Amino acid sequence: MDHFLLLVWHALLVAVFFAFLWRSDPHGRKILFVKTFLIMVVGAMALGWLMFPIP
Amino acid sequence: MTADKSRGGGGGSRSQPESDGEGRSVRKGLLFLAWLIPGLGHWVLGKRVRSLVFASVIVASFVTGVLLDGEIAVPQQNSPLSWFFAIGCLGNGILYLLRLVWVNGLDGLLGSAFPYGLHGGGDPVAAGFFYGKTFLYTAGLMNLLVVLDVHDIGIGEKS
Repeated sequence: MDHFLLLVWHALLVAVFFAFLWRSDPHGRKILFVKTFLIMVVGAMALGWLMFPIP
Repeated sequence: MTADKSRGGGGGSRSQPESDGEGRSVRKGLLFLAWLIPGLGHWVLGKRVRSLVFASVIVASFVTGVLLDGEIAVPQQNSPLSWFFAIGCLGNGILYLLRLVWVNGLDGLLGSAFPYGLHGGGDPVAAGFFYGKTFLYTAGLMNLLVVLDVHDIGIGEKS
């Protein structure tokens, strides 16, 4: 089981969901999708990296 | 749909009491449908693209959770917090109910200690158990947000 793939899949679903929930125009949806997706994926990786030294 | 349109815009102020009462019952039924079958509320309101996207995302999330051996939340007798998780997961509507029947069977579902004593399925030692739970809870919470969105569209606060 690839943990990173699951992270990306979850981020993808949630980002698509909120893009369609909170924006009505296609351009706004694209922007919100990219922002949400990147924040979740990059943020989770950054948080994981920061927590790495913690036992 | 028609009742929603006549009520939502606030244009028909002459027959306010009648249309209001009718509108309320339409809204309740619509909210129930929106909860029961993900995406159906938006479909009824004519938001077809949004409806398909929401249905796809919620079903995909739920199926992923089940395939990862995740457990749907069920109320536990000695754990009041479990009700919060159960309500969140119950947001999945018919998917939640079908999964409960799948895991417990109809006899087990309506058995002695209902709503306690139900099994949520899943495999606690599976590698994807907690990931699966996350997907299942996420799907339920997303559908609850969809129901709120249907309400907002229904009362004309959102297009």
